Amino acid sequence: MSTNGKAITTNALTKRYGTEVLAVDKIDLSIRTNTIYALLGPNGAGKTTTISMLTTLIEPTSGRAEVVGLDVMEKADQVRQRIGVTFQEIVLDPDLTGRESLNFHARLYGIGKTERLAKIDELLSLVELEEAADRRTNTYSGGMKRRLELARGLITNPAVLFLDEPTQGLDPQNRVNIWEYIRTLQTNTNTTVLLTTHYMEEAEALADQVGIMDHGKIVVEGSPRELIAQMGADNIQIIGNGRQDLFCENAKMLPYVENFNSSNGILQIGVDSGNRRLVEIVDTARQSGFVIEDISVSKPSLGDVFLKYTGRQLRDK
Amino acid sequence: MNSTILLWQKQIKKALVHPEEIVGMLIQPILWVILFGVGMRSLMGSTTPDSGNDYMTFMVPGIVALTAVSAAIAGGATWLNERLIGIVKEYLVAPIPRLSILMGNASSIVTKVLVQSVVIFLVGLLMGAKISDNPIGWLGGLLLIAGYGIGFSGFALAVASSTDSSDGYHMMIFLLQLPLLFLSNSLYPLETLPAWMRLGAYANPTTYVVAGLRQTTLEHTPGMGTIANIPIFLCFLISAGFAFLGMYAALKTFNKAIT
Repeated sequence: MSTNGKAITTNALTKRYGTEVLAVDKIDLSIRTNTIYALLGPNGAGKTTTISMLTTLIEPTSGRAEVVGLDVMEKADQVRQRIGVTFQEIVLDPDLTGRESLNFHARLYGIGKTERLAKIDELLSLVELEEAADRRTNTYSGGMKRRLELARGLITNPAVLFLDEPTQGLDPQNRVNIWEYIRTLQTNTNTTVLLTTHYMEEAEALADQVGIMDHGKIVVEGSPRELIAQMGADNIQIIGNGRQDLFCENAKMLPYVENFNSSNGILQIGVDSGNRRLVEIVDTARQSGFVIEDISVSKPSLGDVFLKYTGRQLRDK
Repeated sequence: MNSTILLWQKQIKKALVHPEEIVGMLIQPILWVILFGVGMRSLMGSTTPDSGNDYMTFMVPGIVALTAVSAAIAGGATWLNERLIGIVKEYLVAPIPRLSILMGNASSIVTKVLVQSVVIFLVGLLMGAKISDNPIGWLGGLLLIAGYGIGFSGFALAVASSTDSSDGYHMMIFLLQLPLLFLSNSLYPLETLPAWMRLGAYANPTTYVVAGLRQTTLEHTPGMGTIANIPIFLCFLISAGFAFLGMYAALKTFNKAIT
């Protein structure tokens, strides 16, 4: 079982439903061990289908996928032994307490009693659910349920943890909270994490690598920093009046100005670093006889990358 | 095997969390014996004296079968609910055999059925049914009921695996349940039925299970005439076959429901 430092590899992995729907279209993933990888994409992009294949819930139509070097079709049982999963919807038995849910789950994986009980206490304290541990889960808030599910996913010491939309439906406090848990847990346990999300901030905050997925394909892949850098310059936007032509001429001669465009009365100036160059741009405008009414600086975000590659059209029309 | 036991425990624990479920589970068969049984006894007793108590005796195994069917239906509904909430996915990504998931569910249903059966016999005894005192007979009776319970659980689980709607489930189950109960010897002797109904009853596993129960758990009194008209080995064979068929159907639809 050689993994070459890869926790997940797929080769032309495809899932087709009937003849019409191509949910996942020949994707190739290569996810390094001990990293967090985010599949970012609009609703209906094929993220959950991908996770379902990798977690052995559904069989691929064609192509191959390996998790920790094990083929998900041929060695499904061994794969199941090595992974932890949280699903898009909250999947907790309302009749069990938090502690019972964890205990049941650990027993499903055949974890011995001593190890189990120690692990349950450790994880309950980590996700700050000790006090609620003996209450039935139907009394939990959405955030508490997610935290319990996170603990459950980790109780079996998985080599790979799959988190399908881990913060969907949570308030901003709980979301940031969950991010912190995921990061702490990942560094403490050396688990590889594959998560799906359609929140840019989530991918930006957590992921070492991001794959933007749309229409069943990975359209672009890289670290958040690389992807944002690809978008190029910071942008200074100016509205004003006066000698626009002269301003344009002078600005273009500045070594750090990468582009200068004007549309609908708004000037867009691409520069290497917006905050640093703002004052000089303002000076140049004044010297050229251009009066500024409004000025703002924007830096490209993962959101811009996302929209650039996936467009603005709704996917689930 | 371990995972079967684990899932059995979980289902039993879930039932114990709800006292109203336990109370209902015990009261429902009692009501059947007392209300239906006493009513029918009066009807019978009004035509020929003595046959009233005979009917109470005759009816008890039939009520056991009916209760087993109700329990299996409730078990199937629990499974459907777990499927719809998504809890089943937790089992499916775990390294346990698919069959153990079904066996865990079916065995928890059968456990409830066996508890209910004992209650029915005890209440029947109080109401004047003539129950055998032979422990081996009782053991045989419980085996027959277990087979029947597993079989019907299997079919209920199969239906629950092939529908996404609770209403649809109950409709389909109703269509299964009604002929299974009334097209049999549970509540009336085969001899009194018209030929076409008797034919249907002979094609119904319930008939064999109930006939077997009468032979193993009742005092052998003449009267309703049906006590020994089906060989006991056939009763056991058909109970076991029904259990096997039910599990097979459940496993088939289950695998289809996943992919």
